[in-house]
Amino acid sequence: MNYMPGTASLIHDIDKKHLVLLRDGRTLIGYLRSTDQFANLVLHQTVERIHVGKKYGDIPRGIFVVRGENVVLLGEIDLEKESDTPLQQVSIEEILEEQRVEQQAKQESEKLKMQALKERGLSVPRADTLDEY
Amino acid sequence: QSLEDCPLDEDEDAFQGLGEEDEDIDQFNDDTFGAGAVDDDWQEAHERLAELEDKPVANREQDGPSGEDSDLLGEPEDTLAERLTRLVIDSELEDPAIMQAVQTKVPTQQPGGLNSSIWDSSAVLRRIRGPLLTQEMPSVSVLDYALPQRLPQTREEERDPSERALPRRSSSPVIGSPPVRAVPIGTPPKQAAAPSFNQQILCPKPVHIRATMPQRYPAPYGERMSPNQLCNVPNSSLLGHPFPHSVSPVLTHLQRAQLLGGAQAGRMSPSQFARVSGLVGSPLPSVNPKLLQGRVGQMMSPASGFRAFFGAPPAPSQPQHPPGPASHLQSLRPQPQMFRPDTTHLHPQHRRLLHQRQQQSRNQHRSLNGSVGDRGGHRSNQQERKDPYANLMLQREKDWVSKIQMMQLQSTDPYLDDYYYQNYFQKLEKLAAAEEVHGDGPKKERTKLITPQVAKLEHTYKPVQFEGSLGKLTVSSVNNPRKMIDAVVTSRSEDDETKEKQVRDKRRQTLVTIEKTYSLLLDVEDYERRYLLSLEGERPALMGERKQKICDMYDNLRGKAPGQDRPSDDHFMQIMCIRKGKRLVARILPFLSPEQAADVLMATARNLPFLIKKDAQDEVLPCLLRPFSHVLYHLPLGTVTSLVQQLTNLPQSATASAPTNLHLTAVLQNKFGLSLLYLVLSRGEELQSSDASTELMQDNQWTELMLMATRELLRIPQAALAKPVSTPSNLISLFSRYVDQQKLNLLETKL
Repeated sequence: MNYMPGTASLIHDIDKKHLVLLRDGRTLIGYLRSTDQFANLVLHQTVERIHVGKKYGDIPRGIFVVRGENVVLLGEIDLEKESDTPLQQVSIEEILEEQRVEQQAKQESEKLKMQALKERGLSVPRADTLDEY
Repeated sequence: QSLEDCPLDEDEDAFQGLGEEDEDIDQFNDDTFGAGAVDDDWQEAHERLAELEDKPVANREQDGPSGEDSDLLGEPEDTLAERLTRLVIDSELEDPAIMQAVQTKVPTQQPGGLNSSIWDSSAVLRRIRGPLLTQEMPSVSVLDYALPQRLPQTREEERDPSERALPRRSSSPVIGSPPVRAVPIGTPPKQAAAPSFNQQILCPKPVHIRATMPQRYPAPYGERMSPNQLCNVPNSSLLGHPFPHSVSPVLTHLQRAQLLGGAQAGRMSPSQFARVSGLVGSPLPSVNPKLLQGRVGQMMSPASGFRAFFGAPPAPSQPQHPPGPASHLQSLRPQPQMFRPDTTHLHPQHRRLLHQRQQQSRNQHRSLNGSVGDRGGHRSNQQERKDPYANLMLQREKDWVSKIQMMQLQSTDPYLDDYYYQNYFQKLEKLAAAEEVHGDGPKKERTKLITPQVAKLEHTYKPVQFEGSLGKLTVSSVNNPRKMIDAVVTSRSEDDETKEKQVRDKRRQTLVTIEKTYSLLLDVEDYERRYLLSLEGERPALMGERKQKICDMYDNLRGKAPGQDRPSDDHFMQIMCIRKGKRLVARILPFLSPEQAADVLMATARNLPFLIKKDAQDEVLPCLLRPFSHVLYHLPLGTVTSLVQQLTNLPQSATASAPTNLHLTAVLQNKFGLSLLYLVLSRGEELQSSDASTELMQDNQWTELMLMATRELLRIPQAALAKPVSTPSNLISLFSRYVDQQKLNLLETKL
């Protein structure tokens, strides 16, 4: 299976549906229309998919232009298998609500953790540059 | 005619004055940059535009003033090139970078007017697009955008669209800009297709635009400047985007800078244009001052253009101008011929290339169904059954991206450029071949597609020399960088040096020797591969070279012998004291002849305690064991005997006190020493046992040595003995010849 070096391998993925995971944790699904040597992507009919637990919700976004450095990974979606998922799709409002709840829970646990560490005299410096995913 | 001198208000007088300057300058620009367009298209375009505008386009006679101006102003440009070429001694410049530079000057004709072009709103449009689109506009002229809008406004003024093209930039590279490669590598091929313009796309009337001030201009210039600023969009550098296909960065630094010219995004999107529809002009972001700088450099004052914009005295007629955007606007279906990208700032050669490609692409686009127009949803591409948006990325663009990636892999000597990769894949292939499974044929990633090997060209760039110039040339390029310093090595006199310095120098000398020998070694090791690759006729030569190098290596190791004998091991010892030196010796040994190798061995053995002491920290000596054992394998008994002698330093001189044999002790207490000793003894034993003749038995020296050696071995406490790397099995039998059973048992336990 010969492959092209570098980002040229994305050429074969053009016009196919892809799932793209970004560094800030977002998941985008769209048709890859164009790319370049930096692996900047142009996604068409993009949908931002939010996953919480077993549920997910799609927010239609339109056209996305993603700077290559922000992409963690991307992969082609098999259209036949796409619907073959145990996950349950819900409405946008619901998923956003779920996400909020999840964020809250996470924050609280984080807070507790920091507290515990502080009591013990330890600290974990916040690395702001860490990718969210 | 500096910017500061330009009037800030719409004073008629001032304008008049400007107008005059304008004329001069415009003329200048026309002739140097306007006329002599490469293609003829502009003429048709011009005519069409003239019809459109319904007014006399050119007020001025081109010929008269232009004639004289061309002499004045055009000349510097023209003759400079000629002068340069005359000056250059070696005209067969192989340096592409320099070639470009030289050629630049020659054709000075550039299409498109300059003055007014800056002022036109086309630039605005470009500018507007900037933030909205990540990619720059293709070479299709922004003028196309601007024109319709401008028409109503510029009714009174000259409206030769040719002026709208931006002047050629001659300014220095943009300071603080991203690496000047923006154009060459990063740019997708420009798509010549003309976008469809809506009125909406066009920028709002310039007068209403409040652009932010470019740093360069004084505040009052403010609003008046806006049209200028509009024009000073980081546009056209990208317009003329180069390298449609060949991404060869042949431009000089300066040219690249010019091309970059204030471009914000260093990348062009070929087909960006087509998607612009619907783009609405928004207030301008700040103008790129650099363009203005460039312009100033060309003796074009913004005011003149400004003036032109405001339509006071008619601007100089520019016979050539970018194809009328208006016509194109009117018919949404763009006519490629009308498009004349604003390429004035480009290098002529570049522009030529560009236009050629545009021609090609025009053909391509004509064949595409509605490719240039609005892409959204109206395309029906038969190939993609249900996907109307397919093939937004043209094949050309795809090729361009892959070309970039491929270019990086080009190599004339893969073994040199990518040694580890090559070796790794060789290993993999061997493994795969060895497996003989052949189940799946090429497994997964068999090979990457790599560009074919470029022919090995010897490029010797002779730096350009100018006749009559003193000192070093000022023209330096990426291929022949200028020599900055004439560093001369001066050796210090012996007297001044202190002892420490001498020691240090000596060490440095040794290090240098090691390095030189190492390169020889690497070459020699590489010969096998080269041998396979070379032709029959070359092989003897290769072999000869190899031999010579081996000799050199040996000489380096041992130091050049003054006489026949090698009186001192000093040189060798110096090398052996250094960790790298030891490894070097280990690697060289296989290449040396038996005598040479034996010599090395002897020297090592002779000085072993010293070496052991020096090696205490590095502990690298054991690496020598393997090559030594190989060498030993070929040694005759005589040598072996002397080796043992050296190793054990037996018999000692009579005067030395018997109890302590420091040499031997040191040897025995060191892992390497002991192992080596064992190896030697074992070899001797081998010889003895294999060679059944009594010759060995008669070798008194050997026998004596063995006797003494065993005695010493017995004497030394077991705890002091080092742990050898390996204990040869035939030692016992060896000793059994010389000692009785009791002692033998003792020895056995010790071992």
